[in-house]
Amino acid sequence: MNVIEVERVSRTFRSVKKKAGLKGTFELLLKPEYQEHQALQEVSFSIEEGAFVGLIGANGAGKTTLLKILSGLIPASSGTARVLGADPFQRSLDFRRSISLVMGQKAQLWWDLPALDAFDLIQAIYEIPKSRYQERLNTLAELLDVKRLFQTQIRRLSLGERMKMELIGALLHWPKVIFLDEPTIGLDVLAAHKLREFLREFNQRERSTIILTSHNMDDIERLCSRVMILRSGKMIYDGRPAGLTREGERQLTVRLMEKPTAAELALETGIPVELIAGEAQLASENEEEEIPEGTVRFNLRNELIVPTLQKLMQHYQVVDMGIHEPNLEYVIQRMYESGETPSPEVSA
Amino acid sequence: MSWRLAALKNGFQEDAAYRVEFFLSIFSSALVPAAIQLILWYALFQLGNQSEVSGWSYAELIQYTLVSTLFTQVRGGDHDFDLQEMIRTGSLSNYLLRPVGPVEFVYLRGVGGRLFIATICLCLGTLAFAALGFSIPRLWGGMLLAVAGNVIHYQIGSVLATTAFVWEEAFSVLMVKNMLVQLLSGELLPLNLFPESMQWIWKSTPFYLYVYGPTQYALGNWSHQEFIHGLGLAAAWMIGCTFLIRLSWGWGIRRYSSLGG
Repeated sequence: MNVIEVERVSRTFRSVKKKAGLKGTFELLLKPEYQEHQALQEVSFSIEEGAFVGLIGANGAGKTTLLKILSGLIPASSGTARVLGADPFQRSLDFRRSISLVMGQKAQLWWDLPALDAFDLIQAIYEIPKSRYQERLNTLAELLDVKRLFQTQIRRLSLGERMKMELIGALLHWPKVIFLDEPTIGLDVLAAHKLREFLREFNQRERSTIILTSHNMDDIERLCSRVMILRSGKMIYDGRPAGLTREGERQLTVRLMEKPTAAELALETGIPVELIAGEAQLASENEEEEIPEGTVRFNLRNELIVPTLQKLMQHYQVVDMGIHEPNLEYVIQRMYESGETPSPEVSA
Repeated sequence: MSWRLAALKNGFQEDAAYRVEFFLSIFSSALVPAAIQLILWYALFQLGNQSEVSGWSYAELIQYTLVSTLFTQVRGGDHDFDLQEMIRTGSLSNYLLRPVGPVEFVYLRGVGGRLFIATICLCLGTLAFAALGFSIPRLWGGMLLAVAGNVIHYQIGSVLATTAFVWEEAFSVLMVKNMLVQLLSGELLPLNLFPESMQWIWKSTPFYLYVYGPTQYALGNWSHQEFIHGLGLAAAWMIGCTFLIRLSWGWGIRRYSSLGG
């Protein structure tokens, strides 16, 4: 059963153009100029109950706008969206009781109060029976390991602890559909990992439908069985994460004693220079791991691995090597940079 | 517990989180206007050798100043400013997602502290009225009108706050409203000191029901009939404003862009 159905949804924003400087300020007062920005263009998809879907896109691609339309905060300029059979923008009481939106960059709890006071208020707002509320609160506190912090003012918590409290606040009413907008933003590796584990468990246990946006591809790779990619407001991919990698594409990583440039390596192996990543690029892609000196990565097809290795060994001493499938981060980054559009998968 | 009671309790808890700030704000907002009035009346009567100003004696004006200070405390609350800020910054989204009316919810969370102040004022006033031989039921009636004034004040503010849906500087509209309220509510001076030809100005707004009306009734300067008329007017303004809120918010929400995120 589809819980979310979106058909040809577009959204345009109109804003005042403000030029820099004092002259711009006067012009704004006397003759304001407006500009239009199309945040979403004819986006269509549907999502089944219990799905965990990743929504990816560069900044300004339209991810948050889409979540805002689906949660009923703003209307679509054209097209139709239905969530749990209802028009989200009508914001019926039933609808609001059944959804939740968590924005990693926006606090929804009240800063000056301890989390427990905020949860008590949420219990009253959603009319959750006392015993069920206690049960859920205990479950969520246990999963996220934050019970000891319930009496602390929200503003005194660390970013990760606050995010966990935000999640508890957003889930106490056991929503059927959850929209998560960058929930792991700013979290350290351990906190992000715990949050991911929690989301996975909640999704599996409660069969809630979850749409997650994140710039952290780890989030998407580990949690989502389906990804949707937006670019400049258009849906350019909707399918399994594995479908994003080209068939037979591999990454050959070698460590050389010498330190040749990418141009030299391209000349000697015949691999185009843009498919060769040196130490600096690898370090920028993966800030958490230390990249050993002399490490180079080639992106190539399966059948080119052996010939490329042979050519490398003719010119250099190869200390170490490994072959991997390209990770999602790499694929998405290539997609943003090149502007290529992957062949669309069948909608899940 | 219904969400309304829970919101009231929660708002009060938030106010109480900063106890010193809470009590200092009451003290300063009561002290400054009262001190200005007392100095003004002293200058007029004692230094200027006046025995009466527009039918008010020195003692009556001092009584007005002190009693109006009680009701001025109930009048306050700037939750309409909170609303316009929420619309402007996009934090209104937090409230739109919950199964409650955002205008009512913000009011109830904000009014908790104000009701606490009203209770303190009522207790202090009751003691003072008993000691000075004034009518206590009249004080309680005045407080009822002042609380109704608090609701109207917020309702008008929340209608004006909807300008923030289309105009980033809606803040200034609320500032102007508050300046008018200060002048026309009777918290700075008794409104019948206005020249006869200008009395229509304050009579055509509901602001005089916030402080002037309650004070006049508590001091026995208003008859019961005038008080009932005032309550009826307050009810009419509340109903009218409820309708205006529905209209303006229905219009505004369609223009809400939920900035941020």
